[in-house]
Amino acid sequence: MDKAHGPVYRLDVMRHTFFGYSRLVLAFAGFAMLVLLLTGCGREVLDAGYEDEMVMFSETSRIRSLDPIKAGDVPSAHAIARIYEGLLEYHYLDRPYRVVPLLAEDLPEISEDGLTYTFRIRRGIYFQDDPCFVETGGKGRELVAEDFIYSIKRVADVRNASTGYWVFRDRIVGLDDFRETTMGEGEVDYDMDVEGLQAPDPHTLVITLTEPYPQLLHILTMHYAHAVPREAVEYYGKDFINNPVGTGPYILESWQRNYRIEFVRNPKWEETGRIERYPTTGAPGDEEEGLLADAGKPIPFIDRVIQYKVGDPSTQWLMFLRGQFESSGISRDNWDAVLTEAHELNEDLIALGIQLRSSPAMFLTYIGFNMDDPVVGLSSDPDRDRRNRKLRQALAHAFDYEEWIEFQNQRIRKPTGPIPPGVAGYVERDVPYPFDLERARELLEEAGYPGGRDPETGRRLQLTLEIGAADAPDVRQGVELLAQFMDRIGIAINPSYNHWPAFLEKLSRGQAQMFQLGWVADYPDAENFLQLFYGPNRSPGPNHAQYANSDYDRLYEEFRTMLDSPERTELAQRMADIVIEDSPWLFTGIPVLYGVFHSWLENFKRHDFPYGMSKYYKIDVDHRREWQAMYGQ
Amino acid sequence: MTTQMDNMEQSARTLWSDAWRRLRRNRLAMICLWVVIFYTALAAYGEVVYRWHQWKDITPSYQQTDLDKQYLPPSLFRQPFTVESGAEVGVMERMSSGLRELARHPLGTDGLGRDVMQRLIQGTRIAYMVGIVVSLIAIPIGVVLGCLAGYFRGRVDDVIVWLYSTFAAIPGLLFILAIAMVVGRGLLGVYLGIGLTIWVGLCRLIRGEVIKHSERPYVAAAHALGLSHARIIFRHILPNVFHVVIVTFTLMFPAAIGTEVFLSFLGIGAQGEPSWGIMISNARLRLWHGVWWEMAAATTALFFIVLAFNLLGDALRDALDPRLRTGRQ
Repeated sequence: MDKAHGPVYRLDVMRHTFFGYSRLVLAFAGFAMLVLLLTGCGREVLDAGYEDEMVMFSETSRIRSLDPIKAGDVPSAHAIARIYEGLLEYHYLDRPYRVVPLLAEDLPEISEDGLTYTFRIRRGIYFQDDPCFVETGGKGRELVAEDFIYSIKRVADVRNASTGYWVFRDRIVGLDDFRETTMGEGEVDYDMDVEGLQAPDPHTLVITLTEPYPQLLHILTMHYAHAVPREAVEYYGKDFINNPVGTGPYILESWQRNYRIEFVRNPKWEETGRIERYPTTGAPGDEEEGLLADAGKPIPFIDRVIQYKVGDPSTQWLMFLRGQFESSGISRDNWDAVLTEAHELNEDLIALGIQLRSSPAMFLTYIGFNMDDPVVGLSSDPDRDRRNRKLRQALAHAFDYEEWIEFQNQRIRKPTGPIPPGVAGYVERDVPYPFDLERARELLEEAGYPGGRDPETGRRLQLTLEIGAADAPDVRQGVELLAQFMDRIGIAINPSYNHWPAFLEKLSRGQAQMFQLGWVADYPDAENFLQLFYGPNRSPGPNHAQYANSDYDRLYEEFRTMLDSPERTELAQRMADIVIEDSPWLFTGIPVLYGVFHSWLENFKRHDFPYGMSKYYKIDVDHRREWQAMYGQ
Repeated sequence: MTTQMDNMEQSARTLWSDAWRRLRRNRLAMICLWVVIFYTALAAYGEVVYRWHQWKDITPSYQQTDLDKQYLPPSLFRQPFTVESGAEVGVMERMSSGLRELARHPLGTDGLGRDVMQRLIQGTRIAYMVGIVVSLIAIPIGVVLGCLAGYFRGRVDDVIVWLYSTFAAIPGLLFILAIAMVVGRGLLGVYLGIGLTIWVGLCRLIRGEVIKHSERPYVAAAHALGLSHARIIFRHILPNVFHVVIVTFTLMFPAAIGTEVFLSFLGIGAQGEPSWGIMISNARLRLWHGVWWEMAAATTALFFIVLAFNLLGDALRDALDPRLRTGRQ
């Protein structure tokens, strides 16, 4: 899943004080003032009238779409997973991650050859009430197997320009043929029979694969495979992205784009007697942490979820401290006011009852090169191709990891290639291109740009780097640092800042020369990262670098059908070697995620695939009220 | 005809020299003038630095990052104020090393260890660029349309008044944002966005003045002599209303700068260059940690230039307003 430049990171220890005042006094004075200025007098002004409910307030980034097939970014995935559900989900507490049934009655029966998956769909699952259900007068109807077939066909429909076709491409028998039919003129026939997607009865779904696909169970937890009612898509047409109709624990109450989104508990659950329960087992240590206190109780606990998009990291942090948000990331610039040098919370925050969670994430940040670009990309001319590769390698050698990590506050680790730790197929190895200016200059000369001079113009080589954050000063500073790295070998980087949706649009069309992006795992398997370099997955698929290498593609096709084994890991490493040699990406790091949350947010456990997991969270409203009354006294 | 022209020019000369005399007597206005000259010199220096680096094709020092020097306070506030100590060091050495320390990053450094003063100067350059280019766009539009409307009246006037009323009715900032979206982020969008909106006020003033003047006897005389419309407008009327342009310019300039800073703050103005708006935007992240100097430098610079231009503009209006002149005589 695409993710912007990752969390906002931050570094160093303050080296000075301000006129002798302690940092903290000033900090508190500062945010008290800011909060006063910004919000008048606290939450009452932001959102009043929910005193009797359990409301969760949190922060979100810009949501691109609420249509499950059109969103490939993290904030959208969070929102979608509150409303829609799939056949399967990840177990909330168990580690390593385990897939458990959600809308399926049980895990599927898998045939001997690993090609046929038979799901029994749960009975008594209803879509939310919505005017789109014309036949029933707006009453939500029961979920059937056909809904999943329809939803997967939607992903395959070329006209939908789904970001998710890569998960089904070449996998399901007949689905690619269906995709072919959507390419022509005229109506798309969604009733067309797809051999690999069959519903022998309304509550049985049979998926037939072209070749073994061990990741299918993971795929079915993703929003691309969530159940969407055909009535809603046809009723709302283009406006469907704003009118989600799902079976999930919440329904959309209101959405003011780029500002505020509100979800409320789905009343259909109570009406139809659907009860989901909090897990009764967990990983070792969960019991001690109190994560099993609500074992077996009906979920969701929270009645209403209200999220704001707060662009400014300082404001967002102050809103968290004031208790207006239950949880927060830690921005680069707030780092030393929050954590000690040992990366623990400082005492003042502990005294406020704030808790910290950190863990390395299955997450890579990178700078992608557009392989279609004449300067940095692949070329049919072997000489040009070789020189462009050397240019990419030179840029990789010029990237100063030490300084970058210092700038990011030690919150990232050095990358080890295209497979991050934590996923099956990972092998510990060195940084692919260690910082080495000499080597970078050599390669640059071999690439035909001695000293960074472009012989055609006689001036420095100019490269354009597309950024997906238009107004974030911390991102801008990172980009300026990066430009400085490349300046050392004489190459000028021109940043081009875009809004996140506009940026994704550029990537989908393959219009970026270089771009800064991250990929956060959708499932804990190297395949999820290796597919990013598979030729047929080029934009609008997730291969935004438009990388194409026939050797790689062949290995990948072999790799993706294998079950996890030492041979498979070895194959993954061979593929990683190819990618590293070709350098379609400049690996910039593996982020370590830090998050803080207030003591009244209960049942919170960090999850690498957290979409939809807020249904397990709980809020101690009384405790929050007391805390807020106490705060600032 | 010759006599008439001579008289006209003589009277114009008198107006300007009279105004200058008046202005010089206004002490505040003179201070403001010097402030403006100072900023102009800074901007010119910044332009030279910028051009030089462009010509040499190297990254200028105000873009060079150095993480070892990040968030260095201004030299006067540095703690401790490090002067190389040592028994053998004489008073002169100590003083010179102290002065050297004072001159090193006098306004401190930003989050990437870049010198705030150099960036401030570049910000001045960008502010001036915007002020000048915007004026070059807006003044010709405003003057030409204003003259045409005021002189020809009738249908022409209707069209032009309709046009500027339409422009005036569009919320300025939204219009600028829309233009910036069309031509892309960057200074071009800022130039066009501000330039194409700010001419309305000038156009109205000019139109009013021209209407007044076109009924004066000297215009009637010019008509009687069979001069062309263009000659009457631009050779006879325009010099008599030109003080309006000067005054409007001094007020338009700071308005354009303020808007540029604002747009850059929002991330749609200057890209990859140290505009004041970008400096303010960067500085706000650490403001509550006590990193105040970048914010202080940029806002102070902005404050004084806007203040100086506005006061100067007011003083110029007083000095150039013919009614005021007749009143006092």
